[in-house]
Amino acid sequence: MDLAVYDLKLHKGRFIATVIGVGLLFTIVLAMNGLYRGNIHEGLAVIKATNPDLWVVERQRGGPFNETSTMPEFYHYSVKAIPGVEEASPFIFYTVERQVGDKSRHFSIIGYDVFGGLGGPQQIHAGRNIARAHYEMVAHEKLGVKLGDQVPLGLHTYTVVGLTREAISPDGEPIVYLSLPDAQEVLFQRDNEEIRNQRERLFRSLTRSLPRQTAEKLLPSLQADTHIINAILVRLGPGANRAAVARHIENWLYFSTFTTAEEIQLMLKGRLAGMTKQLLLFRTLLLIVSVVIISLVIYTFTMEKIRSIAVMKLIGAPNLTIVRLVMEQSMLLTLGAFLFGLILIHNTYHLFPKTLVLVADDDLVTFIVALFGGILASILGLWQALKTQPAMALGG
Amino acid sequence: MEVLRIEGLTKVFGSGRLEVRALEDINLSVAAGDLVALLGPSGSGKTTLLLCTSLILEPTLGKIVFDGETIHQQNGWAGIDIRRIRREKMGFIFQSHNLIPFLTARQNVLFPLSLVDKKGEAAEARVMELLEYMEITERADYLPALLSGGEQQRVAIARALANNPRLILADEPTASLDTVRGKKVMELLKKIAKENQSAVIVVTHDVRMIEGFDYVYYLKDGHLNHEH
Repeated sequence: MDLAVYDLKLHKGRFIATVIGVGLLFTIVLAMNGLYRGNIHEGLAVIKATNPDLWVVERQRGGPFNETSTMPEFYHYSVKAIPGVEEASPFIFYTVERQVGDKSRHFSIIGYDVFGGLGGPQQIHAGRNIARAHYEMVAHEKLGVKLGDQVPLGLHTYTVVGLTREAISPDGEPIVYLSLPDAQEVLFQRDNEEIRNQRERLFRSLTRSLPRQTAEKLLPSLQADTHIINAILVRLGPGANRAAVARHIENWLYFSTFTTAEEIQLMLKGRLAGMTKQLLLFRTLLLIVSVVIISLVIYTFTMEKIRSIAVMKLIGAPNLTIVRLVMEQSMLLTLGAFLFGLILIHNTYHLFPKTLVLVADDDLVTFIVALFGGILASILGLWQALKTQPAMALGG
Repeated sequence: MEVLRIEGLTKVFGSGRLEVRALEDINLSVAAGDLVALLGPSGSGKTTLLLCTSLILEPTLGKIVFDGETIHQQNGWAGIDIRRIRREKMGFIFQSHNLIPFLTARQNVLFPLSLVDKKGEAAEARVMELLEYMEITERADYLPALLSGGEQQRVAIARALANNPRLILADEPTASLDTVRGKKVMELLKKIAKENQSAVIVVTHDVRMIEGFDYVYYLKDGHLNHEH
């Protein structure tokens, strides 16, 4: 005789309300799991999509994504000259907020050598890759542009020639691919008035110690250099020794090098670590809150039945019958709430502003933890039920 | 045939200056088919005797022999599974019916049968037989909250009879009923004692209800006196 089910049938309104309440908590736990996975997925997407054999960055910097790295553009020629290097491409990556259509959009720009260089989009979902040196762009679908759209960035307008669904920035924002010169221009383009002012300041400084004519001659060569990149992407030739090439670059060019796997580790231990720990803490706290709520509900359910439990004991029901009654209710509540949370999150994850990546393994682990929590939650009710004296059934 | 024999039962609560002797040297013998009334004012020890008889409360001293088995020796339990004795050989009827509120009348009667592994059609047939005996078949699928006080008490009696108990212990079974219904319940208990050959001990304070009982005991200050 399934006493737990009969009892819950009598209190089905309260039971369903509790299942929904605790289920919503489990929904948030599962959403946090998805957010955690999504955070890592987004954080690593651009690294995985770019995937060169070596990332060459500024010395002792963990760039270009985990930390800023800047270097003169021309160094990619030096890297390319190193034995074992088949291709070395300049790469620039930065984040901007610009008007796209009628909305102000936050997105990242990747500038790369569009003529056979590394770092460009690997899979074009619609349209084509960038084929001209200027004024063409490939954008992630999340940016909300269509093929042929004209997007003004700085002084120029760029035509969307391709759409991609792959890499997004570590912040989860869409990525726009431009040719390297275009990306540098968008990044370093300054206001004309500011350029005039800076030139004037520089000229005045020079004329304090130099003749006016000499200062005028020197002025163009002292303007700020905009041929700056963040990294050089390296593809090794067949049979090349990656470690030897990396050592050569580090020793002779005074840069740091990382493999893609090392870049991923830099992100996991650096930029993504804080968020990961934060989400783990939230998940733990929410699971504890869920278990506490289930315990209190089961304790209340048990207390309401305490006289019936005394009667059962008096007429000889073994402890196992009582344990089953309390435990089954706890399990039904936990399972019902988890199932509710699971169904809800799998049907609503696409509505979240941040990407949620739901993994079956995470669902399973959360289910096991929830199940264990449910058992733990029933202990308070069980303790109360088992210490109930049958004598309580006697009297009025 | 003797169902219950109590010899020299004494129950003491507390010790020293706080010692209370709730029961003092109680001797009682009840045979199958006997209908026994236990009368007494509040605080006389009725409930304590009932708790000791139903093997819930351990006596301080004394011997309890139930259905030929020694359950309690002079100074302790005899190591028998007391709950098994209660579920297989005893039936309980309470003052406030104490039906399990989330089970229907039928399920309430079925519950003690399920405790002794009686299941299936045979168990269902036994339940319906008892409900018919109590003339409450039409209410079989009602929850206790939807039954009247008298109907609830009849279901409670059916539950007590489910496993054909050797002893039925009734604690103030008419306290929550009016006089007419109370008398009907008492008539029913008499019928059960005679037809089922179960020993029935009824604890009550209402002398109007004990007409036709085989034995009436009066408990005062922990001492048991045989009335007639």
